[in-house]
Amino acid sequence: MPSTWWTRNRRYFLYVVREFTALPMALWLLWLLYDIKSAGNGAANFQPPRSVPFIAFSAVCFIFATYHSYTFLKLAGVIIHLRVLDKTVPPRLIVLTMFGLWALATIVIGAVLIGFAR
Amino acid sequence: MAEKRITLRATRYDPDKDAAPRLQSYDIPFSDDSMVVLDALNYIKSHVDGSLSYRWSCRMGICGSCGMMVNGTPKLTCSAFLRDYWPGAVTVQPLNNFPIIRDLVIDMEDFMHKLKSVKPWIIRKQELPLGAGEHRQTTAQIEEFKQFSQCINCMLCYSACPVYGLNNEFLGPAAIALARRYNLDSRDEGLTKRLPVIADSEGVWECSFVGECSVVCPKGVDPAKAIQQTKLDTTLRFTLPYGNRD
Repeated sequence: MPSTWWTRNRRYFLYVVREFTALPMALWLLWLLYDIKSAGNGAANFQPPRSVPFIAFSAVCFIFATYHSYTFLKLAGVIIHLRVLDKTVPPRLIVLTMFGLWALATIVIGAVLIGFAR
Repeated sequence: MAEKRITLRATRYDPDKDAAPRLQSYDIPFSDDSMVVLDALNYIKSHVDGSLSYRWSCRMGICGSCGMMVNGTPKLTCSAFLRDYWPGAVTVQPLNNFPIIRDLVIDMEDFMHKLKSVKPWIIRKQELPLGAGEHRQTTAQIEEFKQFSQCINCMLCYSACPVYGLNNEFLGPAAIALARRYNLDSRDEGLTKRLPVIADSEGVWECSFVGECSVVCPKGVDPAKAIQQTKLDTTLRFTLPYGNRD
């Protein structure tokens, strides 16, 4: 298997992109853990990073996280097999429900964070 | 009017003479639009070079013997029409991810071993005498597993799977799809006999969901779906109370 196998077709390439998005996200989460630890020393000593490169990296991670979540939730219809009242729930409905729950979770978490910030 | 012709490049490899596989070009008549790649190979075998080796049988997309790489994509050569490639050349190579025995013939021993390991047949805890009657199923019960039973063991999915290409210990798409076919069958009672193989680290958990197996399947089977659903089932079985009951 040549190391360039993922360039053979578009679907292989998108798969590798999907898997790669986890790496910057993991790095960003490591930073978050470090920052949470720093915040534990008191507000006076806490200095959130505001450099332009870090903000740019965060923006890239946000795009990657969104793409990763989108691809994951899109596949929910393939993975989840539900029967309700002896009928199979259509995969499209499962995917729509997943995206609905994703939007709801985003709103709730956003509201909680904004609430704490105030 | 000049006869329409097409160039077909086929892999040639004789392990006794060649150090590595090579491509050989053949210029053959493309006499009518219904010709498929397998017809072209048969023409070469009959009229140009009788030493060309390849597998084929039914010519109807049923036996699963004639799977090869056609212009880099795993296909049944009996269903790959030359008209879709003409006036360009067609390159025919043995299926990716398998050792080559000779020319376009691959060694399928690994697949046959894996297929057998998932016990793709109905297992009953206790066989009833024939006089006890048939095992009846509703249409809904048949629909549960029907698509997975369409698999013809053509191995195109293994050829398209980069996970299998990188680690041939992976049980692979078709074997898992067939295991699921029997696990979903209301007549079957062999789930616990198949679980040690399909829930192993080289079973469903090796799959990282590239999804190409389902794209190339000539029979519309969705092995990627079978694998992901099996992951979910085995997880629930492991975590839920009474999940490990027979």
